Amino acid sequence: MSDSTSSTGPDEILRVEDLRVHFPLHSGVLFRKQVGAVRAVDGVSFSVRRGETLGLVGESGCGKSTTALAVLRMVEPTAGRIVFEGRDITTLDRASMRPLRRRMQMVYQDPFGSLDPRMKVRDLVGEPLIVHGMADDRAAYRDRVADLIEMVGLLPDMADRYPHEFSGGQRQRIAIARALALEPALLVCDEPVSALDVSIQAQIVNLLMDLQERLGLTYLFIAHDLSVVRHISDRIAVMYLGRIVEQASRDQLYRDPKHPYTEALLAAVPIPDPELEAARPQQVLKGEVPSVLHPPSGCRFHPRCPKALPECSTTEPLLRPIGAGREVSCHLHVPA
Amino acid sequence: MVQAVDAVSFDVDPGETLAIVGESGSGKSVTALSILRLVPQPPGHLDSGSIHFKGEDLLALDDAGIRAIRGNRIAMIFQEPMSSLNPVLTVGTQVGEPIREHRGTPWRETASEVASLLTRVSIPDAASRLESYPHQYSGGMRQRVMIAMSLALAPELIIADEPTTALDVTVQAQILALLKRLTRETGAALILITHDLGVVARYADRVAVMYAGRIVESATARELYARPRHPYTRGLLDSVPRLDSDRRRRLVPIEGQPPDLANLPPGCAFAPRCSRVMQRCLVERPALEQVADRHHRACFADV
Repeated sequence: MSDSTSSTGPDEILRVEDLRVHFPLHSGVLFRKQVGAVRAVDGVSFSVRRGETLGLVGESGCGKSTTALAVLRMVEPTAGRIVFEGRDITTLDRASMRPLRRRMQMVYQDPFGSLDPRMKVRDLVGEPLIVHGMADDRAAYRDRVADLIEMVGLLPDMADRYPHEFSGGQRQRIAIARALALEPALLVCDEPVSALDVSIQAQIVNLLMDLQERLGLTYLFIAHDLSVVRHISDRIAVMYLGRIVEQASRDQLYRDPKHPYTEALLAAVPIPDPELEAARPQQVLKGEVPSVLHPPSGCRFHPRCPKALPECSTTEPLLRPIGAGREVSCHLHVPA
Repeated sequence: MVQAVDAVSFDVDPGETLAIVGESGSGKSVTALSILRLVPQPPGHLDSGSIHFKGEDLLALDDAGIRAIRGNRIAMIFQEPMSSLNPVLTVGTQVGEPIREHRGTPWRETASEVASLLTRVSIPDAASRLESYPHQYSGGMRQRVMIAMSLALAPELIIADEPTTALDVTVQAQILALLKRLTRETGAALILITHDLGVVARYADRVAVMYAGRIVESATARELYARPRHPYTRGLLDSVPRLDSDRRRRLVPIEGQPPDLANLPPGCAFAPRCSRVMQRCLVERPALEQVADRHHRACFADV
């Protein structure tokens, strides 16, 4: 598994191998000792090809956001490897990471919390250029900021306004312009449309898809809304309690989900069509996601699984290939 | 002055689920709060209108009169179960409170009733969890507690304001299926306030779509989704990605931004974003008119 080279495939931009992010739990005040760990991400592997969108879905606490932060080295991985554009970045120090930060940027969920309220749109969008020393030529800097503002569908005269003057959708456009300032290759989007109203959500989804086509961007798209993820992703990885349980192309996953959790997750999403809904079997998954502090033995999904076998409570299934481009970790599916 | 809700009319029958859908600022929550007179006054003010509940005008009641109805014959379930539950009182105490309050039953006698209520909302091992505090329950369990509390006095109407927005999808499905089952069992009417068109399609019998404080269209759920007659409803349906839609179909967003309620245009509030806008829409506000059986809409265009 861990060969000495860091090479990625020809069109592979990001590879994550057996990523683990554990947060230690301490007890005691004077003699602090570690009493356990929250295994937020516990052995996650995936790769992303240049120009594609990998959707990472799962319910709260599944570790999707922590995975994203670890990929950007914004939280420290406990174990595993992150290879970005052919380079192992898992242990790079801050100074060595700095030039790479230009290549990987993030768009956050909350456009109200992620923009400094005291900065004008112009400065918010231009700040990354200044930080990375790309604003020496005043005229070129001004042009670049104007381009970015136009690129995300804002009007030139909005550049001198402050974030509070904008609605949620427009703020998310500002955040996207800011993320694109340094011409990144990879954009990590963490629930970028979840806080927006549906009519606005569609605007931002379309914008992200247009930008991807125009700039050749690669997206790691994290969301809990399976309809949005389906719409934007080429491939999808489904996470449950710190692990990937299934990984497949969009069509494979939605047409023929293999993992019982994926199946339940899809069944839980209502389709906006009453006739169709009336005909759909209403399969309701029992129980709730257990605490990451005490994950169940064996397969972590087994206490809620409608198809659990005796071995599911004792033996943890591995994520194994079951056909072209798809992997599943479930005892019901024997590898091809 | 902000007109959060402007001349809204609707009705709901026993056993029926009416969904009020709209985006943020559409006035759907204020409408719900107004029914039980829960809008703080001041600054809020209910200018005019009437709310008939089983033939009685709720707006004509005095404070004692509305208190006798609130929680007793009309119950409300809020979005955030954590902030609606008191963190320093046990779950058992809180679920039992409406029973003691409205019926004067002593605490000892409510315990078994509370346990059976919690069992009805599928809380496992309910009797032993009465002494637990809300933080010891998960988000989904807390919402079940809220539902149990709302059921305590067998209300004839339940108003649920975004009851599952804070929950994961698999838990959302559990909670909504539970609400649907309970209203079917008890014959209570349900007003479901939501922004989620999928939830409406799965659970509602009838729908009222709100925009900028007004109902712009109302119909049975099937009719509304099959034959939307208002450009805003159409726009909403076209803008949501669907689990069953064609691959990479481009979403059709509603262009523009939601309106500023303090600064509404004189004509139709949706006119600035409407693809079918006409001169008349800018100066005159369309009234809600019947276009088919049980189907109303407020629009001048021939949609």
